Amino acid sequence: MAGASVKVAVRVRPFNSRETGRNAKCVIQMQGNTTCISNPKQPKDGAKNFTFDYSYWSHTTADDPSFACQKQVYKDIGEEMLLHAFEGYNVCIFAYGQTGGGKSYTMMGKQEPGQEGIIPQLCEDFDRRFIDRCLLHLQSQGTLRVREHPILGPYVEDLSKLAVTGFNDIQDLMDAGNKARTVAATNMNETSSRSHAVFTIVFTQKRRDQMTSLDTEKVSKISLVDLAGSERADSSGAKGTRLKEGANINKSLTTLGKVISALAEMQSNKKRKSDFIPYRDSVLTWLLKENLGGNSRTAMIAALSPADINYEETLSTLRYADRAKQIRCNAVINEDPNAKLIRELKAEVERLRNLLFSQGLQDSLRPLSSEQSPTVAAMISPLAPVSIGRELQPRLFGCETEKIIAELNETWEEKLRKTESIRLERESLLAEMGVSIKEDGGTLGVFSPKGTPHLVNLNEDPLMSECLLYYIKEGFTRSHLSLINHLTVSELRAPSAGQCDRQTADQSDLRSVSSERPLLVGPQQLQLRNNLHR
Amino acid sequence: MASLSSDEWRAICDKFTNAQNLTDVESRKDPDNDPFRSKYKARELLREIYCSLKNFEAGDGEEDSGGESGDQRPKEPPVDGQREDVFGQGFSGDSPAGLRAAKLGAVEYYLGVNHVDTEELSAGQEHLMNCMKLLERCRVSSENVSLFIHVRNQLGILWAGRDETETAQGFLETAESIYQRYMKEDGSPPTDMTEYFTTEEKLLTHQERTKRFELAYTHTMYYLAQVYKNLGETERAATYCHSTLQRQLQLNQFSPMEWALNAATLSQYYITKGRYMEGRHCLAAATVISGLAGEVPSEAAAQESETECERREQLRQKRAEIARCWIKYGLNLLQDAKKLLEDNIGELDSDRQEELKRARRREEEEEEKGRKSALLFGSEDTFDSIASLEEKVPCLLPLDFTEARAVFLVGQTYVTQAKEYFQMDGYVTDHIEILQDHSSMFRGLAFFEEDLERRCKMHKRRVDMLEPVCNDLNSQYYLMIRRQMMFELAETYNEMMDLKLTLANRQADTESLDNHTIKKFNSLCSASAKYFQMFLDSLCSPEGKSPEHLEEEVLRPALVARFRVARLHSQLISSVPTMQLDNLNRSLENYKYVVEYCDAHPEAVAAVETELELSREMAGLLPLKINRLKARMAENN
Repeated sequence: MAGASVKVAVRVRPFNSRETGRNAKCVIQMQGNTTCISNPKQPKDGAKNFTFDYSYWSHTTADDPSFACQKQVYKDIGEEMLLHAFEGYNVCIFAYGQTGGGKSYTMMGKQEPGQEGIIPQLCEDFDRRFIDRCLLHLQSQGTLRVREHPILGPYVEDLSKLAVTGFNDIQDLMDAGNKARTVAATNMNETSSRSHAVFTIVFTQKRRDQMTSLDTEKVSKISLVDLAGSERADSSGAKGTRLKEGANINKSLTTLGKVISALAEMQSNKKRKSDFIPYRDSVLTWLLKENLGGNSRTAMIAALSPADINYEETLSTLRYADRAKQIRCNAVINEDPNAKLIRELKAEVERLRNLLFSQGLQDSLRPLSSEQSPTVAAMISPLAPVSIGRELQPRLFGCETEKIIAELNETWEEKLRKTESIRLERESLLAEMGVSIKEDGGTLGVFSPKGTPHLVNLNEDPLMSECLLYYIKEGFTRSHLSLINHLTVSELRAPSAGQCDRQTADQSDLRSVSSERPLLVGPQQLQLRNNLHR
Repeated sequence: MASLSSDEWRAICDKFTNAQNLTDVESRKDPDNDPFRSKYKARELLREIYCSLKNFEAGDGEEDSGGESGDQRPKEPPVDGQREDVFGQGFSGDSPAGLRAAKLGAVEYYLGVNHVDTEELSAGQEHLMNCMKLLERCRVSSENVSLFIHVRNQLGILWAGRDETETAQGFLETAESIYQRYMKEDGSPPTDMTEYFTTEEKLLTHQERTKRFELAYTHTMYYLAQVYKNLGETERAATYCHSTLQRQLQLNQFSPMEWALNAATLSQYYITKGRYMEGRHCLAAATVISGLAGEVPSEAAAQESETECERREQLRQKRAEIARCWIKYGLNLLQDAKKLLEDNIGELDSDRQEELKRARRREEEEEEKGRKSALLFGSEDTFDSIASLEEKVPCLLPLDFTEARAVFLVGQTYVTQAKEYFQMDGYVTDHIEILQDHSSMFRGLAFFEEDLERRCKMHKRRVDMLEPVCNDLNSQYYLMIRRQMMFELAETYNEMMDLKLTLANRQADTESLDNHTIKKFNSLCSASAKYFQMFLDSLCSPEGKSPEHLEEEVLRPALVARFRVARLHSQLISSVPTMQLDNLNRSLENYKYVVEYCDAHPEAVAAVETELELSREMAGLLPLKINRLKARMAENN
């Protein structure tokens, strides 16, 4: 999903003529996804390992079985990104690394069969499908300024925008662009050149619904960014001295800002407080974040020089790539505390639980009553003055619900503990009454006092809920339940003998019901005869 | 006594000047394939100087072998052997022997730096330690104190680079104490090392001497800041950054905009630490000093020239950034106060409020004391303006509405200021972050507002500033930020709904609500649910599929959103049973989602423990309610 981290690959190229000329040694080793760099000056220092999504070994030739060719790189990264584009995501592939690190080879490649880079391969793949509109952005010099448009999204200011219609146009323009960049680079003294190429394909998928004849459009943007040289500009675009890694001390006071912001950042990471740190991001980090912040997929390919003479630069490229791996969009959702809501909901749960408490009696009744004692559970209207014959002595006990709700300020744990003790208390009380709570918590079982059939009153309104147990005495019990609304009757059985008669006076409205439905009884007389002890 | 003739001396001075020039100027032009060419040349010159000095001045009665050391002592341990008694023993600095040691030491120093610069660290270390040994025999005095400091600065850098931070710390801390003692006991402008190799007429002015010496010590402060940072002693690191800034200002060695931005950044450190007085001081200084950078060039001027355009951009951006640091100041002050004063359901705890108000007097006194002892920024001409700006802004946690309002208003002023530069068009994410901060400040203020109607209006303001932006933004590019806003809008509507309900209950004092209130309540409730749902929908794939696995950073928000949608649906008031049933079913559906997701992804449980507990309960209990409603519906049919 969006918010996913950036996919990071590194790729090491063969020695170039300059390196060969200086008898350079290779300081890079790769194994699986891991890239290892050793310090030529302090060999005993031990090598540093970095793990990425992909580590491409392109230092040797195709004869080497571990050699990663252009096709391989495209297959892993290009195709995946293209797929995401078809799904409707914005896609961005960055190339990063030292000048001459092989970025252009990876992105553009050479115009020979099998030597094309990601861009031409992707374009070709596209060409086969469909190219709607391509824009080539080129920036030859000056500061790279990323701007954001509310509708059109982030863009790089003052880029030349060139529309292209096909693959050949792209090729021509990239060539021209590279020439322009080279010229700019020469003019500005290579090391200080900061020219970037941002190549954007706007990809529109149109679909016509046959039924409705409506067109739907899915637009996604594919950005291929070739950053010139190692990116050394800070967010304001001014050339900043790179902050050295690790325990090194920066000599120049011009880096004071970075030291302070690093401090502030260390602190804010600890406290998770809101702050604003002006220097925080470099352009690249920012660009990456923008691309991570939207509905997009980003891949970064860091191009590495294998040579010992480029050790420092290569190490810093690797470190950058390593950091990019950890860049996640920091759009954290800051939640309001919802203690109030939790409190309300707990009250609601309690209310409903009481409701269940009453119905639970019914649910858990059957299996128990069938083998133990005759039990009748009934729900009786709250205000009904119940009288089930003079012989019946209803016993009353109050629920603890009100108390629980009143004790709102307790923590959840405290509350649970209290609830537990209340449960135990209630359990013993109920047990005394012949009702028992099952061990798994809320559900209730009514265990009749052995050998005594009875009726149980359950209240519909949990707040006024009362639980009544009506013992049905030996012999014929006649009761007038004029205000009974709902009466749930389970089969009355004697625990031992197994015979229990059940009659209703007047219209025999009292029906035996399936286990699912409560039995509804109108306001009429209920007669029960207990044959048990007869 | 073999003394140098003035010609020979002049030759040495020329060589030295030449070496300096090679090191500082020429070396920048060295080609890539021979990056140290000029430095190597400089090294040769320094070696020649060293030999001349040795040859001509040896036999001054001094047995000396400082240069070819290595045999006198083991090279390790590299601790600073001169922590004690550097003021009490040895040659006095202005004696011939003392001067000679200082000169030789200086050449060793420059050779050391040269080797370090050309990545020959061990050789560099040796030269620097030779310098130390030569100095060991001298008392600290105005002739050599600068070298005492410089060589330790370099050794500090060297050892820090080798990850031997404690060793570095030792050298730098000694440098610090030497400086302090020197300033206390002597304090006269010390000789700069370059003056050892300068002819009479080129000696520096006192002013220039002081400037260079103080700058060396400023570097000591700065290096110590980094050493402490690397040792994890952030508090000390911050103090040393603070000192570095203060010294830059005092000694007039700063560029205003850069300095101001650094001070503003430091304020963020203090703010997150809850040290608002220091934070305020940094910010006030930042504002005042940024003013020294001059007026922002007009738009017209910017169109005329590129440099003016760049300058305009820079000034406006950096001032806006400082304004944003101020916003965070106000925001955190409000939020911290809220945290301190709220009870366990997020309402103002008036007992706590009273208690804190009583404690306030004490705090005020401490503020006064703190101010006096604190490290204050300011040069003569800026000190008063910084103090007067500070006076206008509270730095104690607000304890009631009036105080909170004062903080809020300060923050709001800077919101306006920051938005002038960070406009929506061009700075979407920045602009929105400012809006979000503004909204959060309103939330902080609302906490203190006792009148519920007015509190509700404040939340309405939050909705008004976020809602249109949230709906207009292109979510393809600003998905994350939209999600944040959706969540906040949902919560804000929810809050308003709660307030309306409380108000209605107060007024009506019965269960029955009038139609208008119900309508209002329902619309707020639906709006809240709508934004939570929007948030949830934003997690879906472009095809609209709900994700099977929630990413870590959206896990809790997504489940909480589900949970709250569930709750909101069960809160909607309706007299139509079918609608009631619909609402309850949607509610159940969402509770069930939370339960089922956590069952399928046990690692999610920890993130939403309470919510899960309640969702489980509700998922078990709601069917009961639904069945009863169904039963009643069936009955009525």
